[in-house]
Amino acid sequence: MRSCHFTGRPGPATCPVCLVNCPTVSNGTLRWRCVGRPATLCCHRPPSNTGMEQPIKVLLIEDSATDARLLRIFLGESSTHCFDIVHVARLAEGMERIGKEHFDVILSDLLLPDSQGIETFERLHAHVEHVPIIVLSGSDDENLAVRAVREGAQDYLVKGRIDGHGLVRSITYAIERHRAEQRLQESERHYKFLLESITDYSYSVKIEDGKPGLISHGPGCVSITGYSAQEFEADPKLWFRMVHEADREAVQEQARRIQAGETPPPLEHRIVHKDGEARWVRHTVVACRNRDGNLSSFDGLIADITQRKKAEQDLVKSEAFYHSLVENLPQNILRKDLNERFTFANQRFCAMLGMPLEQIIGKTDFDFFPPELAEKYQRDDRYVIRTGQIFETIEENHAPTGEKLYVNVIKTPIYDAKGQIIGIQGIFWDITERKRFEERLQRANQELAASEAALRKSHEELKSAQLQLIQAEKMESIGTLAAGVAHEVKNPLAILMMGVNYLTKKLGGAEDGIQQVLKEMREAIDRADAITRGLLDFSASRQLAIKSESLNTLIDETLRLVRHELRTKQIVVQKNLGERLPGVGVDKRQIQQVLVNLIVNSIHAMPEGGTLMVRSYTKQLTETSHTEGSRRASHFWVGDMAVVIEVEDTGTGIPEENLAKIFDPFFTTKPTGVGTGLGLPVSKKIIELHGGSLDVRNVKGGGVRATILLRPQKA
Amino acid sequence: MAKKRVLLVDDEKSFTNLLKLNLEETGDYEVRVENWAEDAFQAARDFKPDIVLLDIIMPRMPGGNVAAQFKDDPDLKDTPIVFLTAAVRKHQIDENDGIICDHPCIAKPVPVETVIEFIEKHVRK
Repeated sequence: MRSCHFTGRPGPATCPVCLVNCPTVSNGTLRWRCVGRPATLCCHRPPSNTGMEQPIKVLLIEDSATDARLLRIFLGESSTHCFDIVHVARLAEGMERIGKEHFDVILSDLLLPDSQGIETFERLHAHVEHVPIIVLSGSDDENLAVRAVREGAQDYLVKGRIDGHGLVRSITYAIERHRAEQRLQESERHYKFLLESITDYSYSVKIEDGKPGLISHGPGCVSITGYSAQEFEADPKLWFRMVHEADREAVQEQARRIQAGETPPPLEHRIVHKDGEARWVRHTVVACRNRDGNLSSFDGLIADITQRKKAEQDLVKSEAFYHSLVENLPQNILRKDLNERFTFANQRFCAMLGMPLEQIIGKTDFDFFPPELAEKYQRDDRYVIRTGQIFETIEENHAPTGEKLYVNVIKTPIYDAKGQIIGIQGIFWDITERKRFEERLQRANQELAASEAALRKSHEELKSAQLQLIQAEKMESIGTLAAGVAHEVKNPLAILMMGVNYLTKKLGGAEDGIQQVLKEMREAIDRADAITRGLLDFSASRQLAIKSESLNTLIDETLRLVRHELRTKQIVVQKNLGERLPGVGVDKRQIQQVLVNLIVNSIHAMPEGGTLMVRSYTKQLTETSHTEGSRRASHFWVGDMAVVIEVEDTGTGIPEENLAKIFDPFFTTKPTGVGTGLGLPVSKKIIELHGGSLDVRNVKGGGVRATILLRPQKA
Repeated sequence: MAKKRVLLVDDEKSFTNLLKLNLEETGDYEVRVENWAEDAFQAARDFKPDIVLLDIIMPRMPGGNVAAQFKDDPDLKDTPIVFLTAAVRKHQIDENDGIICDHPCIAKPVPVETVIEFIEKHVRK
């Protein structure tokens, strides 16, 4: 279903003039029923090839219905354009329509019921700046129309002189012209905006009579130079003075070349800012020529490049700094690309290879080193390239003289701006001297450690000997004291003994009571004598009668000596004597005394009976024992062979607090008269005189074990 | 049978008194006591003992010196001497077959029977 372009209603076209009549067919041609003209427009017109599919939307403001109808007819007849006409009779109505819909062009009479004369145009123009306006006027007020055109109307048409073709052309031109104007305005605004937003300082110099004349300064001049346009205008020489003294000649040269018709490249020079500080600027000058090719003016653009210049200078300084570093370091420095070709070598490395840098760049290790070395170097490089890791090593090389040289090598990857590895950088330096010092230091250190160990050992021995000496001193003085005491006690005992002897004889037949008293006195004397004897045993310095003895025989004999005691106390003896014990050089009587002492102690510890274990065996020592109390060191060292005798009981054990005191003379826990407190001290002394050791300790689960270590006789 | 003459040299007065009493109680011995070692030599010359019981540790002069004086004297050199001392222990004496410094020796304290045993064993016959 087609719709009518004039009315927008579906169905056949409506005549643009009468609005009601539809075209009729007569003589094979469609004609408007009202006017009889061929209906070439609208729905009846075949599709156009002009591409002008969209009708031109026209707002017609015209209070004369006749004029309006005429214009409709003219536009409707156009074979090139299609128009969609909205017709109103009053300005207010027109403005209202403008506010509601879009129009491509406005045709407006100036004499309207609600507005007359130029005011009609002005109001319209103020209301719709973006739509071209064509003014319609009568022949009597053409001047008014001309004025409207001057004020911005696209065209004016004089009623009565309008024809169809002229009207369409006027409308299409008005639209085109209006569009062009709009584009121009847009462009102007754009450039104006652009120019205003440039912070650079632009200026323009007019050439008058071949000489520079009027100068205009852009708004950027304040920020770049510190001076305002007014200041430049007030002092014509200010501009040139502003140029840094050293650069004035170059600036003058640039101006000269411009005036000579050349196009000089941008000049970088310094100016002195109003604040007194020198600034770097980039000064571009462009010449403008008139149609004759003569210079009419030139424009300058001055940009502050102080920051950039400073960055450049910093870069140069930094370059110089690193260059100096690289060339003055005592290290060899080199760079290679991914193909193992040298891209850099510092002077030291060049000197090492004995050729200038140009002959090194582009070459590989194979050009300078033996193949196996070159292969190794490249292997290291490839490791760095593959892993991105730093490679550090100390290479051992041999000098032609045969001595070992040490070289410390560090290789690191080189990256490009994208973070891709593009090669490696190597730094190496000779550390032979340092290495030699290290080796010497290490040797010295080892020697020092060895002598320190020896020192420590001898210190320990000394300490042990000192402890023994102190203890021996102590024992010696106790011994002297004991001997004195014993002697002084024995004499009164001798007197008592004589007295008791005498009384016994004299009172031989006396009553039992007296006999009992004398007997007890006699026993008391014996006891006191035993104590003093023990004391003397302990304190005496003795001569040993050393003979090679079988310890097992000795043990058996000792057990026989005490078998009566063992039997009465119901003590079971477990013997475990090692076979083929080596002979031991001992004073048999003394060792027997020691064994008796130890066994008696065990018996006393088992008043309710128990088991006495006696063992003998040989063993290689795994720990050393330093024992105190003898001048004759009883040192056993780890690895020494020893013959061991153990006497162990299942008795009461030694209270922890007493363990440290058991070798002190006179220390005893036995009832008075049972022990003298000298058994263990004497035993220990005897064993130590034999160069052995005696150790007494509690056994887990109760009981005590005494361990005697003796040296086997040397075969 | 004449009593055997015993010279007892010891600085312990009580001991000498009691030993003298015990020995004389037996009726076999005539005992002279000398408590000062320096006087022992002169006492021996006067008393002419058949045996001397000599202490070793005495003030001013040890028994050994007294024995040496006797040895150097032609009249006294054969007089038997038995040391009777608290300074030596029995087992030491036993180990040396009863002889200490060329003379038999008795360790104090000692029952009188032992003293008599020694006197009888070593007395000049």
